[in-house]
Amino acid sequence: MLLSYYTTLLSFVDAPGIKLRKPSWLKVPSPMFMYGLVLLSYFLVTGGIIYDVIVEPPSIGSANDDKGNPLPVVFLPYRVNGQYIMEGLASSFLFTLGGLGFIVLDRSFYSNSKGFPMVLQVFVGFGCILFSFIAVYFFLTMKLPGYLH
Amino acid sequence: MATQSSDKEETDLESLMQHLSEDKKAPKGRKEELLEDPFPLAKILKSASSLLVVLILSLACVAAFISRLFAVIRFESIIHEFDPWFNYRATHYMVNKGFYNFLNWFDERAWYPLGRIVGGTVYPGLMLTSGLIHYILNSLHITIHIRDVCVFLAPIFSGLTAIAMFLMTREVWSTGAGLLAAACMSIVPGYISRSVAGSYDNEGIAIFALLFTYFLWLRSVKTGSVFWATSCAISYFYMVSAWGGYVFIINLIPLHTFVLILMGRFSVRLYVAYTTFFILGLIMSMQVPFVGFQPIRTSEHMAAAGVFALINAYAFLDYVRGLVTKREFTLLFYFMVLVCAGVVFLAVLVLTWSGYVAPWSGRFYSLWDTGYAKIHIPIIASVSEHQPTTWASFFFDLHILICVFPSGIWIVLRKITDERIFLVLYGVFAAYFAGVMVRLMLTFTPIVCCLGAIAISQTLTQNFSSEEAKDTEHSNKPKPVAKTRQKGANRDKREDTTPEELDTHDDYLNSGTKNFVVMAIALILMLFTVHCTWVTSNAYSSPSIVLATQGSDGSRMILDDFREAYFWLSQNTAEDATVMSWWDYGYQIAGMGNRTTLVDNNTWNNSHIALVGMAMSSPEERAYKIMRKLGVNYVLAIFGGFIGYSGDDINKFLWMVRIAQGEHPSVIKESDYFTQNGEFRVDSEGAPTLLNCLMYKMCYYRFGEIQFDSRNPSGFDRTRNVEIGNKDISFKHLEEAYTTEHWLVRIYKVKDPSNRIVDDDAKITFRNKKTKYSPSTKKYGKRKGIVPDKLKVTKGKSYKQLTGKKVRQ
Repeated sequence: MLLSYYTTLLSFVDAPGIKLRKPSWLKVPSPMFMYGLVLLSYFLVTGGIIYDVIVEPPSIGSANDDKGNPLPVVFLPYRVNGQYIMEGLASSFLFTLGGLGFIVLDRSFYSNSKGFPMVLQVFVGFGCILFSFIAVYFFLTMKLPGYLH
Repeated sequence: MATQSSDKEETDLESLMQHLSEDKKAPKGRKEELLEDPFPLAKILKSASSLLVVLILSLACVAAFISRLFAVIRFESIIHEFDPWFNYRATHYMVNKGFYNFLNWFDERAWYPLGRIVGGTVYPGLMLTSGLIHYILNSLHITIHIRDVCVFLAPIFSGLTAIAMFLMTREVWSTGAGLLAAACMSIVPGYISRSVAGSYDNEGIAIFALLFTYFLWLRSVKTGSVFWATSCAISYFYMVSAWGGYVFIINLIPLHTFVLILMGRFSVRLYVAYTTFFILGLIMSMQVPFVGFQPIRTSEHMAAAGVFALINAYAFLDYVRGLVTKREFTLLFYFMVLVCAGVVFLAVLVLTWSGYVAPWSGRFYSLWDTGYAKIHIPIIASVSEHQPTTWASFFFDLHILICVFPSGIWIVLRKITDERIFLVLYGVFAAYFAGVMVRLMLTFTPIVCCLGAIAISQTLTQNFSSEEAKDTEHSNKPKPVAKTRQKGANRDKREDTTPEELDTHDDYLNSGTKNFVVMAIALILMLFTVHCTWVTSNAYSSPSIVLATQGSDGSRMILDDFREAYFWLSQNTAEDATVMSWWDYGYQIAGMGNRTTLVDNNTWNNSHIALVGMAMSSPEERAYKIMRKLGVNYVLAIFGGFIGYSGDDINKFLWMVRIAQGEHPSVIKESDYFTQNGEFRVDSEGAPTLLNCLMYKMCYYRFGEIQFDSRNPSGFDRTRNVEIGNKDISFKHLEEAYTTEHWLVRIYKVKDPSNRIVDDDAKITFRNKKTKYSPSTKKYGKRKGIVPDKLKVTKGKSYKQLTGKKVRQ
């Protein structure tokens, strides 16, 4: 029925001779690509990029020491709900690094033995996790001097 | 007392963690025994492992309950903060007067002189829940005051949340991961922040409803049964009646459905689940008075309706595909898709344009356009929990889970099923929303716990020595996999863990490495519990109506100024007295002082709040006029300069100015309150407008007479660390009525207008004034035809004639 409808339509409408081709770049994105996007957005969001856009803090603060010389201050102290741009990016980098560490750890279990040595993978993965964990811990103690006391 | 409880709790948590790791071993034991001895022992061990599950879950509930009691142990069983006071007052009203009177309640004590229709502007789920508990307990002759039910409601529900978390995680992964997720959920600070004892707010029960709805949704997608979909809709109804955040569900579930269709994962199960859920959920959600017709009339809900149309069209096409040839079908398919898309788009456009569908509300819109609130709705931007989130908040609220979360997504994406796609979508969107508003960290927390627990559980499972890993892999796998997808899952399993691979691991990963990994993860989890306890104890357990400070000897001093002031109000003012304050304190004045307020935390009327803001930021004369018009008897200001409390009205003052400026830009200008350099200062260099406005005068009245110590001058503000600029403050129309012990709350009485003194001078000046300002300007304005050098135009002569003459001449 639909076919007859089209034939009648085409009998008095001259179909233009164009070919609509699917553009070559338009295809279902690969899972890895999608995951990369997710990870990137996660990196930005946990770094407080939205805070940076709305509140517009300086990238690094400064304070005066005893003699009045200006000193750079990377961490906005005593405030959980305030930050400078650089500290946010640094910590979200560490968050992402920790996440990647877990992924490497997970991959080490499934990858075949011909590639990267397994023990090394485990240690690289775990090194990432521990490093990021400890570093973020120190970041927070710098920000909140009373942390865990 | 407090330290004792925290110790106890930590031991609880540690034992919990131990139990968790034991649980990992449990299936292994079962398998090993199974090889030797076929039946009875296996049965016993199976029941033992399910006993262990019950035990761990109940321990998680207990831990969730206990860790939220810091405030009650330190202070007393009391309602916290601001909004809970209104919820408590409403619950109290409902318990005393009955449910239908509560629905019809017109509260004339709020938003004077407008009043507030409480029944129609409140989510009644919270009040109903605690009212129901109170009713059941009382009918069992366990007499308990409604206040105690309200105080302990949130801790009880957080236990239930842990169970819902377990169910949801088990649905997509394994029992072990579910238990770990439940344990994380019970103590994670991101959730504790809204559910400590005494914080009697919608979120406390809403997160349970949210997770339970999602669990039922996943179950109904998996099984495709009408029963589960109906349960899901009922749970959704409970969520709608409890919290405005239900919009998150009604957008996420359609999104999940949409993505599944796009990925070609359409199935009858999905169709049954979604259509049942949508229809029942829609009808039921419209029964909540506050929601009413919103589900069919606002843009926030249109996505669900659109997906409903789409899934029906898709199902129809799927049906037609069986009846026609392939070529016809392709034609039909494109034709239908075009028509459908066009019709839906046009319908929404026309409905929005003609006003049947309201466009997005400001709060919702500000989620997408992050700068929107800052520019257009200062009242939303002024609330601290609507601020965007910083990195420290993420780490503070989620600790190690914030690192584990991305790998959780990775692991889940490796073997895609319908349910796992849901988790990923939830995670991605909730992460974005949590970044926009600190408050939405609450919806992000559950998914982080779920995915984090999956990742950690996976890592732990792999790193117990290889036979165990093999066994747990095999024993865990078949459980989460749906019967319908068994084939695919089996294939997956074979791909992932072929025996050869596992064998090769043994050569490379000796048990020492694996033990190291397990130990380190256990250590991190232990630090996680320490962090959670510390944050709960130090950051989230303050009732905020009672302030605690540390004395010089480390002892805890309690400042009870707020309750002192509210009690004074309730005892010493007339029953119908009206109290003006900034909106933060409205609910507390109504709840504790039992007096009429002008504005409160239900910020529904911006212009009314702007009027109050204008009164606060005007000089006394103008403020007095406004206050007389509003019928104000008392004014209340919060002043922290005496003790160094930073959340006081002077620090909030700029928001009052901004909100007032939004409505009355000709009267109030924000720039007037800054110095030349654009600073906000209260010392002698501050802007004169600021130094003479009502709020400043109320806060610093007689403050200049006080000298704390010899090092600082008199009138030294401890919050802002400056000497105040205006020490000579006197009032003409106000008088100080009460100031609390630490000057935290200052109450002023608005004087009645003084009697008019009738003497001859006054009469004369009055008359003079009248003649002086008589409306004489009109005389000149509108009289006709006295423009001095006006050109005279002679009519009737054409241009041609004129020019012709000229030419002849």
